[in-house]
Parts: sequence; C-alpha cells; structure tokens
Amino acid sequence: MMRLNHLPNQRTDEHVILFMRRHWFAILTIVVAFLVLTGTPLALGWYYWESTVSSWMETPVLGPLIVIVGSIYFLSIWLFAFLEFTDYYLDTWIVTNERIINIEQEGLFHRTASELDLAAVQDTTAEIRGILQTVFTYGNVFVQTAGSKGRFHFKNIDNPENVKEQINQLVEEDKQRMSRLGAGGRKGKAKIVD
Amino acid sequence: MFELPNLSISISIFLIVFGAYMLFYILYSLFNIYHLVKYGIYGFGLYVIVTVFTCGTILLVGGSFFLLAEYDWTTPITLEGASEYYNEDLFPAL
Repeated sequence: MMRLNHLPNQRTDEHVILFMRRHWFAILTIVVAFLVLTGTPLALGWYYWESTVSSWMETPVLGPLIVIVGSIYFLSIWLFAFLEFTDYYLDTWIVTNERIINIEQEGLFHRTASELDLAAVQDTTAEIRGILQTVFTYGNVFVQTAGSKGRFHFKNIDNPENVKEQINQLVEEDKQRMSRLGAGGRKGKAKIVD
Repeated sequence: MFELPNLSISISIFLIVFGAYMLFYILYSLFNIYHLVKYGIYGFGLYVIVTVFTCGTILLVGGSFFLLAEYDWTTPITLEGASEYYNEDLFPAL
C-alpha cells in the first residue's frame, strides 16, 4: 500500500504537489454501464412477469436454470464493474517538487510504474478534444522528455491546462534550484520500472 | 416411428456449473482485492471500496442461494420430458 507522505525512493525535501486520477467522468461511464446492464434485464423481467416469466420460474427445470444463469450474469456484471473501478483507482499520476510518477494499471496482470525527474522535462502539452471534454473541462497532458523514453501521458485528467501550467512552473523552480546547487546537482533521468 | 432414447440427468448438474463459476469469481475477486490493497493509495476510501464490493457480493450470492433453495434438485432432465413442452407451456400469453 502506497502512502502519499512516504513515496517510493522519496528524496529529502520532496513533497507531493499534485495527485491525479482520471476525471470523475470515467466513474460515471462505469456506473451508467452497470445500471444499463443490470436494469434492462430486471425491467424486462418485471414487465413480462405476469405473462411469461412467473410461469417459467415455476417450471422444475427451466426455473433453476433461469436463477443460475441470472446469478452468473449479475455476479459477472458486479465483478466487471469492480475490475473497471480498480483500473480507474490504480491509474495515478503524482507530481512532486522534484519528479513525476506515473502508475498505470492495464488489466489485472499488467502494471507499469515510471518516474521522471522534472529536470528531464522538455515540453508539456495540454489537450482538450471534443464536446464532452470541453464541457466537463478534462483532457490529456503530454510531458515530453529529453531522452528517448518517449513521453508521459496523463489520460483524461481534470483541468489539464492548469496541470500543464503547474508542471511548467515546477520545472522552472527545479531548474533554479539545480543552478543554485551548482554543477554537483543531480542529472535529469527517466526511469521505467515494470 | 423414431423414438428418443430415455436419457436422464439430475438438474443438480446446474449446481456444478454454478459452483465452478463461484470458484472462478472468488479467486478473481481475491486477486483484485489483493491488487487494490497492495498498490492502492492508503486511506479510508480503500476500505470503503473493498467493503462495498464484499457486501454486494454477499447480497447477490445470498439472494441466489435463497432462490435456488426453493427448487427440487433431484428432478431429472429427460429428453422425453423436454419434448412434452409446447409453446403454450412456455409462453402462456400466446
């Protein structure tokens, strides 16, 4: 279990500035899918109860079969919703005054944790695309690094413009701190831990 | 005239399928909870999530057992019996 006041490989004087997950719209999508998938068969069952379903349930073979298939269906929906929520919950981006930590969960069996020193940041881009992202003010932030490791992608986060500004400001502050430290300061690097 | 062979299987075979699914469900859920606890951010929310999921599972499984307990699981499924159903039995509204 990770604690925000005790990050992995935490440095002296390092503290968390931003802690981000995907926008709440991601949760809304899971909730709506869950409600549609559970509500539709329940509504159909209720509507056709008198005419058809009640007689099916009294049949000695079909009745238990319906209950078992129904149980498996609803348990699967519940498990699927929980898996999707776990994926949402474990995808996190942490920006400290010294580095960016990117933790991504892709399914249950693939997890990537990467970190990047602010000194290695070359460019940040905020992207808001489409009607929904414009209305609810969420989108993507891309952090381009100096190395060949590619770029960090903060997916569907709240207020990407603001996040971009804060990262740029932190990068500037980090550069000033590094210049105060002189030539003995640490060099920027991107580390990928799988 | 063609005659169906008199094969008979108890409907408790459905319970075996349900049991196998429940085993898969429990293993997958435990693995998911382990992931949440191991990699999640420490806080009250984490306990709420695990508790809500566990309570939902208990309700669904409890409801299923409650409904399943009403049936006679020694009833055989026979091919002859299956051929006795007509549309009027399955769709009384027709």
